[in-house]
Amino acid sequence: MRNSTSLKQEFLKKWIKGLQVCNSSSEKKMTILERKKAIKLSADIAMASTRNGTTCWSRAVIANATQSNRVVVERILGPHKPSRSVSSVMHKKILKKSRRVCSSRSRRVLMRKRDAVKTRSIVKRLVWKKTQVLKSLVPGGEFMEDEMCLIAETLDYIVSLRAQVDVMRCLATTTELINGK
Amino acid sequence: MNRALPEMLNCMNAPGTFLAGNCTDMTVLERQRARMKWHQHEHNDPIQLHQQQQGYNFSGNELSGVFSVPIPAGQAQAQGFMGLVCGDSEVKPDPCSENRWAELGYGSCGLVVNNNGAAGFEEMINGHNNNSNISRTFSCPPTVAAEKKSNYAVLSQKINSPAGKESFKKRKADKVQSSKAVAAENDSTEKRMKGCAEEGDSKITEQTSTKNNTNNDRESSGDTSKDNSKASEVQKPDYIHVRARRGQATDSHSLAERVSRTSEVSDLYKSFSLHLQILLFNCLCQFLIVIIQVRREKISERMKYLQDLVPGCNKITGKAGMLDEIINYVQSLQRQVEFLSMKLAAVNPRLDFNIDDLFAKEMFPACAANFQTIGMSSDMTNSAYVQFNPAQQMVSSCGLDMGINSSDLALRRTISAPVSIPETFLDTSCFTQAPPTAIWDADLQNLFNVEFHQGRTTPFQSQPFSGSIEASNLKMEM
Repeated sequence: MRNSTSLKQEFLKKWIKGLQVCNSSSEKKMTILERKKAIKLSADIAMASTRNGTTCWSRAVIANATQSNRVVVERILGPHKPSRSVSSVMHKKILKKSRRVCSSRSRRVLMRKRDAVKTRSIVKRLVWKKTQVLKSLVPGGEFMEDEMCLIAETLDYIVSLRAQVDVMRCLATTTELINGK
Repeated sequence: MNRALPEMLNCMNAPGTFLAGNCTDMTVLERQRARMKWHQHEHNDPIQLHQQQQGYNFSGNELSGVFSVPIPAGQAQAQGFMGLVCGDSEVKPDPCSENRWAELGYGSCGLVVNNNGAAGFEEMINGHNNNSNISRTFSCPPTVAAEKKSNYAVLSQKINSPAGKESFKKRKADKVQSSKAVAAENDSTEKRMKGCAEEGDSKITEQTSTKNNTNNDRESSGDTSKDNSKASEVQKPDYIHVRARRGQATDSHSLAERVSRTSEVSDLYKSFSLHLQILLFNCLCQFLIVIIQVRREKISERMKYLQDLVPGCNKITGKAGMLDEIINYVQSLQRQVEFLSMKLAAVNPRLDFNIDDLFAKEMFPACAANFQTIGMSSDMTNSAYVQFNPAQQMVSSCGLDMGINSSDLALRRTISAPVSIPETFLDTSCFTQAPPTAIWDADLQNLFNVEFHQGRTTPFQSQPFSGSIEASNLKMEM
């Protein structure tokens, strides 16, 4: 795992770049909610792009962001644009397929789990429920059938979330001070 | 399991592939057969073998259950097996086909593991623990065959299909040990076999004894395919008729005659095949158990990592509690991100404000001072110092060793710091000729480096500015 400081620096660079892109892409003055959305989007994308697509959650974040706001994402991830578009098509296909597979499989898993729950203890049921909740929290977690994979992704996600929060808090206080002056 | 079964069916339905040896199962079979032969040469004591066989916890009932299952698919041979299993002294018409059944069942087990992953493992292990499960896995092929015949009937009708019924009946009969009924059945099957044998006999007279096994195989596959095609019909009266029509395909009866001669050999063969299969099964199960253990260890290791990462999680031991903590932490982080982005949006009327303003106010004056007078920078530091004053006590109270103990010292420092900043700035810009953003990055890095050294307890107001001060100090030291 990388040093957290270098992670933060990289995140900040990408975030700032994303913010500039967001700002330049919208001519008119944005409302506070729009601004918030843009800030969050750019922060998420920056956080995901620090992982270079090596983790599932970062890919899921980018895919979700691409669905909601394609132009900005492509501009932020600028240099990779051509390959991005190709791979995003592939990505979409794969996602679709995996969704199909996962839906059928998850149904089967659900059935099996139900049977297991009947026979096994309540604790296991609790753990399973919480795992489902965790899956819904971690981006792309719905596609992680494997518990080990889920835990590893959660680890990585928490690390980068912490970095993100730190950097954002820092920037918020800084700008607050400057503006207050 | 479901994926594996159609393959088995295909194998059963296409005897030609078996003959040609194209099928993968065939290669496995042949290998096993070779092994068998070798074992036959090695141990020639049938009694010992019999004892071994009994040692595998296959009681008579279970065995009959196991081997009575294939009946609906390969009627004649399977009933022959029943005779084989129930009365050990009886003639064994077709050891090889039975062997193949077992092998096929085994192959299906392997496929299960590949297809379903961990779930499959567990099933396998359960099967290992009690033999009845093994019999269940073996019982799968006929039911699916019946299913296929009845054009994809629902699974729940499995037991209601004629094939299932019959096998069930037979198992029951075995359990009750009504030897008469069994004997009658056996007799009828023997008769049928004989009839078939006489028909097909003329074609197989020249075969050598080593080719016996392949003959058996061919016969059994032919019969099974036939039976598959005829499954929906009522078997007993129609059978002879059908077989008479297909005289070419059923070479079976050279077998029946030869079986009486080679009964001992086939006995050996059968017991050894069982022996090997059980050995293999044990090995596989142990391997799977090891895999599962390794996986569990990995999971617990990762959970420990998570414990270290998530604050307040190290006191909780249960998995559910830990998951709870992790969920809460992730949720709180996500909410924090939401909140901070909202805050940023509220604080800044425009979006790209952040950095430009930040650096324009903090860094660029310093750069400009480099080209103009030092007085300007001192002005800036004065203004900055004015701002620092309210935060100063906070900073010192937080235990930062910034050295800002007295206002004089602080003033001196803050004045001296910017003087040095321009130099370093000049240096970097001269070296790199980079756009100003590069410098921003460098300074931001410093800013953040310092900040994280300070820790999060520092009040917000004092953070950025003390950070910049220390950054300048760092630069001075450089």
